[in-house]
Amino acid sequence: MTNWRFKEIVVMAALSVVFGVVYLAFLPLGGVLAGIFGPIGYDFIFGIWFIVSIIAAYIIRKPGAAFLSETIAAMVEVLIGNAIGPMLIVTGMVQGIGAEAVFAATRWKNYSTWVLMAAGVGSAVTSFIYGYFMSGYAALAPGYVTAMFIVRMISGALIAGLLGKALSDGLAQTGVLSSFALGKEYRKRKAA
Amino acid sequence: MFLQRLNPSIKALTIMILVVLLAFIFEPMTPLLFLIWTVSITFIFGKVNFKKYALYFIPFVIFSFGMLWTSVVFADTPKNQDEIVVLLGMAYPRETLLTALALSIRVLNVAALSLLFVFTTNIVHFILSMMQQLRLPPKIAYAVLAGYRFLPMMRDEIKLIHDAHRIRGVNQAKTVTEKWNNYKRYSIPLLASAIRKAERTAIAMESKGFTGDKNRTFYRQFTVKKTDWLFPLIMLTGFLAALLAS
Repeated sequence: MTNWRFKEIVVMAALSVVFGVVYLAFLPLGGVLAGIFGPIGYDFIFGIWFIVSIIAAYIIRKPGAAFLSETIAAMVEVLIGNAIGPMLIVTGMVQGIGAEAVFAATRWKNYSTWVLMAAGVGSAVTSFIYGYFMSGYAALAPGYVTAMFIVRMISGALIAGLLGKALSDGLAQTGVLSSFALGKEYRKRKAA
Repeated sequence: MFLQRLNPSIKALTIMILVVLLAFIFEPMTPLLFLIWTVSITFIFGKVNFKKYALYFIPFVIFSFGMLWTSVVFADTPKNQDEIVVLLGMAYPRETLLTALALSIRVLNVAALSLLFVFTTNIVHFILSMMQQLRLPPKIAYAVLAGYRFLPMMRDEIKLIHDAHRIRGVNQAKTVTEKWNNYKRYSIPLLASAIRKAERTAIAMESKGFTGDKNRTFYRQFTVKKTDWLFPLIMLTGFLAALLAS
């Protein structure tokens, strides 16, 4: 936290606020899908709930960005008053740890497309382990649970990883990120 | 009211502990009794608006129903297959049905616990209390509070972007696909303006002397009083009683 500029923290918080709202908007959609398909309904779109980790880490590129942004997004969801309550903060932390672990494995140096996708998968893995205990997936048939897990990992790689990268790149092109790591990289690439 | 005056951190921690405890229960009686207990406490000590409460609770009933039928259909093969319960003309193993009921009531119980928190807590107080009792770093706490203040501004911002698009000839969205395309078009400008606002806010806060130092004073002080411990006591007693009674 000491090598973070305060500006970066507030920008990360602002991103988390935006995506906290997006996360809440997707909850009823997940609920409808879960009503039709059972718990696996959530897994199709689960990647959307990891996206801020990938965006914040890709833009700011500092240790902790993935974890903190997801945690703050969860806090914001609690702030707005969702019905999952304070436990959601723990859920956010668990999801953030998964993505953060992947970035940590590259020593927070590599932000290529496949690392971002792997980070989405990382969140899927930790969130699934957590959900396995908290939601009692142990009582479901192993085949169904495996299907849920695979669908969630694909969703994490595609929605969180690829869509997150696309959004961040779109933002970098507008120039608002000029004082952040991603914007600087863009300028360098342009100059070259 | 008692629930509204509780220290928010104590309230949140108690609820988290209870949710974790509930995850270890795989029979339906305990969560059912504790659900009744939680809802009663909410209304007796919280004076919550019933209509609003019901409105928030309904989505969980739907989700709980989804949980119920999938847990029956996709259940793990039970150990004891001889005991069969006939329901609506179909036969189910008794164990499967009980586990499915337990899981779906657990969903409702977690929802009830969360609603207890959401309906009785001022959220800004919760953040301030997390900073004062749970050592949340002030840098993060105030960044979150600042970000939270952006929310109403964002609604105006969406309106602005929407109008700007219309002036330039983007038609009013009527179908779902058109709406979806519009949101895609709005996402980048919306995020860009949020980032600009955040940068300005950060600079403003720092120029007015915000350092994020942990040794700071607070205008609104939150403390843990003896009566605050009553809440975990009441809730844990209720949980134990439910566990013993079933």
